[in-house]
Amino acid sequence: MAAVAAVEAEEPVERRPDVIEGAMGKRPSYREIEHTADVGVELSAPDLRSAFEGAAAAMFDLMSDLDRVGETWRGRVRVTGMDLENLLIRWLAELLFLSESEGVLLSRFTVDLLDGHTLDAAVAGEKFDRAKHAVRVEIKAPTYHGLRIEEVGGEWSVRVIFDT
Amino acid sequence: MAQTGHDLRQVGDCLWEIPKAGAMRVPGRIYADERLLVHIREEKALDQVANVAHLPGIVSWSLAMPDIHWGYGFPIGGVAATDPSQGGVVSPGGVGYDINCGVRLVTSRMTRDEVATRVPDLIRALFRDVPCGLGSHGAIGKLSRKDLEGVMTEGAAWVVTKKGLGTETDLEHTEERGRMRLADPEAVSQRAVERGLDQVGTLGSGNHFLEIGYVESVFDEKAAAAFGLREGEVTVLIHSGSRGLGYQVCDDSLEVMQRAATKYGIALPDRQLACAPVESQEGGRYLAGMACAANYAWANRQVIMVLAMRAIAATLGTGVEKLGLRLLYDVCHNIAKLERHAVGGAERVLCVHRKGATRAFPAGHPEVPSAFRSVGQPVLVPGDMGRESYVCVGTESAMKATFGSTCHGAGRMLSRAKAKQASAGRRLDEELARMGVFVMAEGKGTLAEEMPYAYKDVAVVVDVMEKAGIARRVARLKPLGVMKG
Repeated sequence: MAAVAAVEAEEPVERRPDVIEGAMGKRPSYREIEHTADVGVELSAPDLRSAFEGAAAAMFDLMSDLDRVGETWRGRVRVTGMDLENLLIRWLAELLFLSESEGVLLSRFTVDLLDGHTLDAAVAGEKFDRAKHAVRVEIKAPTYHGLRIEEVGGEWSVRVIFDT
Repeated sequence: MAQTGHDLRQVGDCLWEIPKAGAMRVPGRIYADERLLVHIREEKALDQVANVAHLPGIVSWSLAMPDIHWGYGFPIGGVAATDPSQGGVVSPGGVGYDINCGVRLVTSRMTRDEVATRVPDLIRALFRDVPCGLGSHGAIGKLSRKDLEGVMTEGAAWVVTKKGLGTETDLEHTEERGRMRLADPEAVSQRAVERGLDQVGTLGSGNHFLEIGYVESVFDEKAAAAFGLREGEVTVLIHSGSRGLGYQVCDDSLEVMQRAATKYGIALPDRQLACAPVESQEGGRYLAGMACAANYAWANRQVIMVLAMRAIAATLGTGVEKLGLRLLYDVCHNIAKLERHAVGGAERVLCVHRKGATRAFPAGHPEVPSAFRSVGQPVLVPGDMGRESYVCVGTESAMKATFGSTCHGAGRMLSRAKAKQASAGRRLDEELARMGVFVMAEGKGTLAEEMPYAYKDVAVVVDVMEKAGIARRVARLKPLGVMKG
């Protein structure tokens, strides 16, 4: 599975040493992966919370350029799951639901609590504005297909494939 | 479990078999020719065909149509029938997130020459009047919870009777008459309801589209006459589904099904295949919720069609009736249905999953509308946006070999990422214009991902199904203008 299209620019965030400081951007660092029907992302992070935040940022970056999404809308998200994989899917699905039901694009994700069964996070974004926000692709849902969350050598890597 | 490098055996002119191995309950069968097989082998789609063969109660074969490509859980282009009386399961993964994603085709009495210079105006009018893309709002306003229940239980009929959009004939010319009776709004979560309130009459994005084209050639005069297809006349093709409500129904059900799979002791090679017996509480509830989403999708396409017809008529300064705009047929290609099929000489009710596959019932079948019963059910197979699409007709052999199913489109060949790479630095709209197609897209990435070279040649796909005797070609449509979400 070849990785393509590495992404540039992120503002400096302590928990993400792999991102490059750049311009005004807050685009997450992730790789878009090959999947014929759908679109997937792979990313790694120093800890699990950052990995969950990164997956959320990557998902919204696939939908619209995160650089152009402000933080005027704020909300909290709490999800429970039967295991880590389930929790990751529920977290991403909840964000998609919020996005659609509130008409917002999200750009900032701060996971405050994450254990094996519960996730609690603060999120921020902006009401969708057709004139301001470039639409990339509509994501229907995060899927369990090819889902991977693993810790290798002190780093967490996550792979999610989205149905688009 | 999942294997690579499957030992495919050729068992027919365009038919290949994955022999039963390990815990597979039935063999896999793939409709393809040598050309398509090259692409199919490159992916993990064959693993997925084998994985589906593990489902409890699966009957005869795990099938793949020639437009098969790697999906999640089920391959896209996958067909599987299970027998509820033998513990057969229903799997939301065998339907997909976009429940009742489907296609409808509108015919007209306008000729290609009459509209040739107006295509850009028509596409702009469609863009103006049919909501699409991220953040779009339903064309008939935000519904009340009660109205949404009407949509979920009555489907397209709700739009016709309550909103006065369309006619009784539209319903006759829609698979299931645009309404699955299994629907029960109680089986749909509050979240799904919220997502559905403001999206009736929205196209969506990705591979969803509205296309103005024309009948370029007719292959089967008798069927074409029954379908009202005449060479040179303008057509409108609509591809959309159940929007956020459908995605949420699927998502909710996957949670339930994962627990159910454990509860009923169902071991599966892929978590995305989670399922429950059709005759269990969980299975019944999924089918009731799925039917609500399916009905929503039919209502959605009905609204989109009427908006499109009106936009076209207004742009040309005339009326819908004057242009002879009428619905030929509407098919769904992501669905699970309880249908009667003959297996081993006995008729049984089976749960037929079609994930990226189209029903293709033959002449004489009671489910085929009376206007078409002497020739068979119209099958709509859209190709990529630059080349062509096909109208086919179902056959008797489809009933024997594929549970009355055939292909649903061209099938992706390049991943979205690869398609974007191939599109980098190119003026795609100009390239399409040179092919005679005017295109407008809402999403920035959509055009790049949906270019013709990202797809297999639909002509090859349709050819395989005809050679295999599953569905015959009736007419070929060529695009003139496309609106992409």
